[in-house]
Amino acid sequence: MPTPTLTQSIVITLIQCLLVVIFVFVVVPLTVFAERKVLGHIQQRLGSTRVASGHVGFSGWMNRSMWKMGRVPVLSYWRGIPGLVGDVLKLILKEDVIPAKADRFVFFIAPSISMVAAIVVFAAISFVPGTFFTLPTWFPFVGGLPVSGGIADINVGLLWILGVATVGVYGIVLAGWSSNSKYPLLGGLRSAAQMVSYEVPLALSLLAPVVLSASLNFGEMSARMATGMPAWALVPQVIGFLLYLTCGFAETNRLPFDMPEAENELVAGFHTEYSGMKFGLFYLAEYINMAVVSALASAFFLGGPWLLPFGLQGLVNPYLPGFLSWFGAPHAIFFVAKIIFLLFTYIWVRGTIPRYRYDQIMAVGWKYLIPLALINLLLAAAIRCFAV
Amino acid sequence: MHKFLRTLIPADIAKGLSITGKHFSQVFFTANRRKVPLHIVSEYPEVPAKVQPRFRGRLTLLKDEQGEIKCVCCLACEKICPTQVITIEKGKKEGRKMPFPVRYDFEMERCIFCEFCVESCGFDSIILNHQFELAAYNREDFSLGTEGLEQNMFEPSHAGKFSVADD
Ligand code: SF4
Ligand code: SF4
Repeated sequence: MPTPTLTQSIVITLIQCLLVVIFVFVVVPLTVFAERKVLGHIQQRLGSTRVASGHVGFSGWMNRSMWKMGRVPVLSYWRGIPGLVGDVLKLILKEDVIPAKADRFVFFIAPSISMVAAIVVFAAISFVPGTFFTLPTWFPFVGGLPVSGGIADINVGLLWILGVATVGVYGIVLAGWSSNSKYPLLGGLRSAAQMVSYEVPLALSLLAPVVLSASLNFGEMSARMATGMPAWALVPQVIGFLLYLTCGFAETNRLPFDMPEAENELVAGFHTEYSGMKFGLFYLAEYINMAVVSALASAFFLGGPWLLPFGLQGLVNPYLPGFLSWFGAPHAIFFVAKIIFLLFTYIWVRGTIPRYRYDQIMAVGWKYLIPLALINLLLAAAIRCFAV
Repeated sequence: MHKFLRTLIPADIAKGLSITGKHFSQVFFTANRRKVPLHIVSEYPEVPAKVQPRFRGRLTLLKDEQGEIKCVCCLACEKICPTQVITIEKGKKEGRKMPFPVRYDFEMERCIFCEFCVESCGFDSIILNHQFELAAYNREDFSLGTEGLEQNMFEPSHAGKFSVADD
């Protein structure tokens, strides 16, 4: 394998960036679409089955007769996609209003901060440790060179992720403050307090994988957590996983922790004054953040690009038939599948749990999650010390 | 202690998740194969809506077995109507002893569907039918009369023809 020159490695990095951007811009609309459908199904409302169905003509007649037979029209599984297109069009075409007394510069820059912070995190997430695939030799300029599974598998990947992801809250707080309106300000403040409270258990629960894998490198951590560990050593990490997921929900401001934008109490929270694509950026940032949290959770707790969570792959591997042996290798598909499952969990939880009261959120964060995270960390340290 | 443990162990959350998860998978995987639909919302635009028997919809004139308009122009409904949306013109018709309404106008845009007119009618010649899709594009479309195809008092409106379950 030839060693790439500087220009060649830059081109390869650009290719990787492109892959990640494509991933992000495929996953986000799909999540938005899935959110409606799944919520509709969960609450038995059959949401989003009506858009793109006509009452007239042949298809309308088909629909009506299928409904009369007590069946959901088969096509309703894709129905609702025009709603998605409509959403995007609405975001793009809406007038961009800036409140008269707003701090124009901060108001302008706040959504971008959120968005950039959300996207940049992906730089350190490696979907597959090591080489993802090798470019074919006919490929111009960079043919025959390996493309790794992430943009930059840096040594302090986890620190980078935590650090940059926290910048996102600046976007929210600044947005709330710069709108010069009471509701957004309250939303921003609540968001700040919530972030501060939940950042602690989040980091603590992520420290357990760090302790167990003795590394801060994303790929190495996920590799060691998935394969380098006896299966029983991962059992205490179920607590860590749940802890991490809870804090992740809170960090991304998703239900049941959507304090900054509690619609019933705060009109729409920190983005009350935002419209058009500025609001769209917040929207995007929220969904990208969801994907980031899911990626971290699946990498550290669910086995990442390996097939099975909690190190079960090692137990199953010998029994897999030969033609399935490639399942044993790290594979981006498994990683993405886990991310998708966790995104589904996000929506699932949203459809199940009602929003907490604000003081309840604070109480849960400080009184339960932080002690639990510390205990979990202690467990991990004990395992590390005595067993692994 | 009990409360502490309940908060610590997310059993309630797990229960809730299992319920919603069950609903989701049931709807998602068996939606097209079940005889009885799982969802409880009405599939209204596709399937005619069922309204309660006492539902008060649009005013309709009735005809008797011979196809004659039953109304005898006693003007009771016109008098009792609180918004005065009924206008009746008495007239005569060949071979009919009773007076015959040559004009029976009903301006639906102001009707409050109080059913006073129906109660006051001693001849059971009007009812409020089960139509609730009464939207129209022009104000004129709300003036219903006994003549014409588009807006007559005997038949359901165009929207209603499509989706109302008429008993
Ligand atoms: S329902 Fe009431 S308002 Fe409407 S026409 Fe009859 S009496 Fe008048
Ligand atoms: S009360 Fe009945 S019979 Fe008398 S005018 Fe009205 S509809 Fe005709």
